[in-house]
Amino acid sequence: MVENQRWLNVLAHAVLILGVIVVALPVYIAFVASTHESGAFMSGVIPMLPGHNMVETYSAVLRGGVSSQISQPIWLMLGNSMIMALMIAVGKIVISITSAFAIVYFRFPCRGLAFWMIFITLMLPVEVRILPTYKVIADLGMLNSYAGLSIPLIASATATFLFRQVFLTMPDELVEAARIDGAGPMKFFRDILLPLSKTNIAALFVILFIYGWNQYLWPLLITTDPSYTTIVSGIKRMTDVQDGTPMWNYIMAVSVLAMLPPVAVVVFMQRLFVKGLIETEK
Amino acid sequence: MATLTLESLGKTYDSGASAVRDVNINVADGEFLVLVGPSGCGKSTLLRMIAGLETVTDGTIRIGDRVVNKLEPAERDIAMVFQNYALYPHMSVRENLSYGLRNRRMAKAEINRRVDEAAKILEIGDFLERKPRALSGGQRQRVAMGRAIVREPSVFLFDEPLSNLDAKLRVSMRGEIRSLQKRLGTTSVYVTHDQLEAMTLADRLVVLRAGKVEQIGTPLEVYQRPASTFVAEFIGSPAMNLLDGVMQGHALSIAGASLTLPHSHQGPVRVGVRAEDLRAAPAGTTGGLPVHLRYVEELGSQRLGHFDCAGERLIAAFPSGQALSDEMALMAPPEALHLFGADGMRLA
Repeated sequence: MVENQRWLNVLAHAVLILGVIVVALPVYIAFVASTHESGAFMSGVIPMLPGHNMVETYSAVLRGGVSSQISQPIWLMLGNSMIMALMIAVGKIVISITSAFAIVYFRFPCRGLAFWMIFITLMLPVEVRILPTYKVIADLGMLNSYAGLSIPLIASATATFLFRQVFLTMPDELVEAARIDGAGPMKFFRDILLPLSKTNIAALFVILFIYGWNQYLWPLLITTDPSYTTIVSGIKRMTDVQDGTPMWNYIMAVSVLAMLPPVAVVVFMQRLFVKGLIETEK
Repeated sequence: MATLTLESLGKTYDSGASAVRDVNINVADGEFLVLVGPSGCGKSTLLRMIAGLETVTDGTIRIGDRVVNKLEPAERDIAMVFQNYALYPHMSVRENLSYGLRNRRMAKAEINRRVDEAAKILEIGDFLERKPRALSGGQRQRVAMGRAIVREPSVFLFDEPLSNLDAKLRVSMRGEIRSLQKRLGTTSVYVTHDQLEAMTLADRLVVLRAGKVEQIGTPLEVYQRPASTFVAEFIGSPAMNLLDGVMQGHALSIAGASLTLPHSHQGPVRVGVRAEDLRAAPAGTTGGLPVHLRYVEELGSQRLGHFDCAGERLIAAFPSGQALSDEMALMAPPEALHLFGADGMRLA
């Protein structure tokens, strides 16, 4: 269906441009704010054009020259976030791809029950089970550790379900050909299933990395040791100033920097990402 | 090289449905056996049981002297060609061919020798480094066969390997499979629902019906002496004509005509006659079946007349140029008639 009417084109562009503005404007304003003096945004008139303080602000933030404002060096917080996001993304993929493999390719007692149990956890996101989860992690002595940050977020019904659907589209004959070729279950998994799910793994990695990177409530709850602060909760802590006003230019600079890693992941994995979402041919 | 023996082989699913019942077949060393039957007759199940992809619930399967019932497919020394080729899409043709050999930890030099040899036989040497996606259907089919050849197995199993190809390619691949199998001398079992494919490929045919063997024999035996009306209608194109008749001693009355046959029987019978055994005669000829011409199919080499004969359909094949009229008679020599009892089994 290709309509080529002028007003339809105009309308399509208008909708798209509006969408871009809605998404991009706050980001742009954050960037503008980071290039002005700290008081500029409190003056009542929000500047719409970048100021002259960009170099000073960013170099101060990056060199940790504003330690009174930022609780921890920004590199440490970025590093913490990176470790947490990677552990969550990789952990989720590893666990869900193996559980999907088990559910699809093995006949064991209570297989259907196992699948539905996993499926039901979709209804129990972190926020719902946060108290019991906190209790468990605390009892296990995992407060203030990378394990405590990531492990409770690793189990994923969504990813398991996605891989299950991917595996269900694999032709049965491929499994049988592999059996005749003498590939045992794990060999089949490694030699055939994994390479064929490559694009799906990539797509999922992008989504899960961003999910992990944006975690806020959980890190805030279980890390009291400042050296485990993640960048997202770090930004929040920057706004809690005891006396005086928050240094918005620094906060916005850190926010902009915090956006860069997820953006980089999306940009570099975009091709695989799109392929993983639309490719159906096996 | 090996023989393949199936002894009272049966398959019953957990649900109680039985797919294969009491199958006894001996496949000689180097023989090309074709399993043929309509869809749902159990031919694929039977093949998959031989391959080890389906469990055996009754009887035994022997390859050579070895009972293989409980062995994994890889341990049975078989190779299988699938209907949808089942090539590994992420591997190059060379990797596809060598994957099974690598899993058996065969020496690299030997793997390369076998792959190169198979590539030469099948003329796929030019695209060994390509992915299956970049190949045409016929080329993929060759690669799938190559994967079977490199294993140098005791038995080849083919599961409708040609049904995804277009008609022309199918005919040429059919010839190639046949000559390849003769050249390698490997015992083969081939499943198809296409009776023409079955006739042209087989050393021996097995016609299956509802999980049971209906008839085993060379293609000519099956064609010339079908064991039942089912086989008679299934093998041969156009299908054998079947008419109701009644026999009293040697006299057969059928569709208003009466004939004297060499064999005797009492009671109702089904009479089968091949289209090419019927000859045209003027209306009213004694011993001829009075028929009404419905339409004619011109095939070039011959013409097929479709007739009404006392409410039943009849097809007769004539040389091209044979004149046909609306009302006429068809004659068949008594020895060309096939007699089947009321249960559909052959009488004589």
